[in-house]
Amino acid sequence: MAGIADFLDSLIGGLDLICFCLMVGSLFWGLFVLRPWERQHGYNAVHLDTTITLLYKGGFYLAGAQLFKIVLKVWLMTAVLERWPFPEFASTTQFIGGAIRTVLALAAAFYCQHILRAHAESKAHWIAASLVTLPVIISGAWLVHAAGRFDNRVMLMSLTVAHQLAAAAWIGGVFQLVNVWLLRYRGQIQADLWPFLLKRFSIFGMASVSLLLISGAPIALQYITTWNGLVGTGYGNLLMVKIALLSLALGLAWLNRNAVLAYGISGDPSHLNRSVPYYIEAETFILITLLFTAASLASQPPAIDIPSLTANWQEVLGTFKPAIPRTTSPTHTALIAGEAGRVAIIGQVPSIAATEWSNYNHNIAGIFLTVMSFFAMLSYLKSPAPFLDRFFESIKFWPFGFVLLGIFLFFRSDAETWPLGPIGFWESTFNNGEVLQHRIATLLVFVLGVIEIRARMQSNQNPRLPLVFPVLAAFGGLMLLTHSHVGFQAKSAFLIQVGHTAMGVFALILATGRWLELKLDKPGKDIAGFVSVAALFQMGLILMFYREPLY
Amino acid sequence: MKALLKLCLMVLALCQANPAAAHAVVTDYSLKMQPIRANRPDKVVITFNSRIELGLSQVFLVRKGDTHELLKIGNGEKQGQLIVEVPALEPGDYAIKFKVFAADGHLTEDVIHFSVAQ
Repeated sequence: MAGIADFLDSLIGGLDLICFCLMVGSLFWGLFVLRPWERQHGYNAVHLDTTITLLYKGGFYLAGAQLFKIVLKVWLMTAVLERWPFPEFASTTQFIGGAIRTVLALAAAFYCQHILRAHAESKAHWIAASLVTLPVIISGAWLVHAAGRFDNRVMLMSLTVAHQLAAAAWIGGVFQLVNVWLLRYRGQIQADLWPFLLKRFSIFGMASVSLLLISGAPIALQYITTWNGLVGTGYGNLLMVKIALLSLALGLAWLNRNAVLAYGISGDPSHLNRSVPYYIEAETFILITLLFTAASLASQPPAIDIPSLTANWQEVLGTFKPAIPRTTSPTHTALIAGEAGRVAIIGQVPSIAATEWSNYNHNIAGIFLTVMSFFAMLSYLKSPAPFLDRFFESIKFWPFGFVLLGIFLFFRSDAETWPLGPIGFWESTFNNGEVLQHRIATLLVFVLGVIEIRARMQSNQNPRLPLVFPVLAAFGGLMLLTHSHVGFQAKSAFLIQVGHTAMGVFALILATGRWLELKLDKPGKDIAGFVSVAALFQMGLILMFYREPLY
Repeated sequence: MKALLKLCLMVLALCQANPAAAHAVVTDYSLKMQPIRANRPDKVVITFNSRIELGLSQVFLVRKGDTHELLKIGNGEKQGQLIVEVPALEPGDYAIKFKVFAADGHLTEDVIHFSVAQ
């Protein structure tokens, strides 16, 4: 069960950050954006209650996540070390810090639920809530990357906490904006509160992002000291992904700010109500993915520590070099024959068959996606002639390619396991984190295709069904961004990771583009749709040119 | 939108993957400069980039055929150093396989290959 424990251990890091953002960001929202003690803005009881509910629920969830983290660590260590990890584990920073943070988060959440909620308009109680939450924030310093370092430990721990704080202020604020829009949509708050709070958050958000960059830059410079370290290590690569996601989120935030400024000049709220909520939804997608990427980054060795395992930029570029796709596969017998030598510790023999098998899988998947994106582009065009009407009517079902791809991946992804190989389905799924990820990805691709076909049928009466596609695509992107390749040397694993993380970013662009296409009016709708399909095409190209290192 | 956000978080919980590399990596080891000599017990010093929880770490000697033997370990003089006690070995190819728990909470498994000459 080590595989599933390891898998859950890494996922909980992302969930922990989300809960932290919900709690701390909601607190900042109340203190600096909402300011409930300024009654002239006409906040009602429902508004204040939902705001504080998000705050204390974030606290309780954070405590739960922290506790679950400890339980998972115990499970993982029991599985890996094949013995009960106590009493040694009880004296570790992780156990003590995690337990303390759990108690502190529970105390803060309890205060907000029972005391702040009853005095929602009291400035003194909001300040007290922040004082009660402060130890939760500080205690996090002992649970970050920097806690195990030898050099500049205190500085790095402090900067990391400041970085988390800035992220929480921004992301938690975005969660609260979603809440405000829902209240506005249901008519539970005054209509003019939406633009008012958008404008206030716009300024607050810029301050948060500034702190995010000011605190993040020295951390990055401490862990990455060369250009090769940035482009040629897993740490640098994930940092670049974070920067790319941050840029995407900031782009959407910039669109929101423009809408707010335009409203200030014209007084016309149509853009604020018809576009901005969907930009915020898309921004939420990106920011949640950013948090999971940040959690993954925390488990990567800093570039400064692995100079001998760093790839140079030419090697990184080489992974994207166009090549003729591999359309023939080695036999399953040849693959299995090379497995014993490939996984051996002493006398390891790289398996050419395994490499070619993997290249074939990736290249064929790339052909699937490229052909699908071609038909997706065609589906936006009108039929040029009557005899082509039926064809143009049917190509809107291009997502059927995902169903076929899912079936292909099911049989090909892990050839040493069931249904092709000798290792059983459940044994391989729950003992190997990589196989588990492949299984989930395969199911995701298949379900994505089935649901999208159903959504495109004329008989579909459910207006929400088309929204499943971008949601699942975003999750697919998240998997690509955090996918691991065990059994390779560190440098090879990184060179594989580069292509996967690039596809992860494109998958997220595909998802947010499609989401906005479904929600926005023209011309934004068309632009978003084109960007979405172009991202799918890019993913197809990366997969089609994929070449796995032979070691 | 609220329901969708919940759905997002639920599926995210299913989709998160585990990064292969963990925080603790070997920055140096004594075998580079001092190879093990045949037929006499020796010590190997492994230096990590992070503090290591000794009580939650294991180091194995891997022989031909991938048989594993648990080795005694202790703290080195510097932070992040492990001293591994290696038994007397005949000439041949071996590996040191370790599972270490870093102070930041990440478990790392890796292998160092080495040869013993006559």
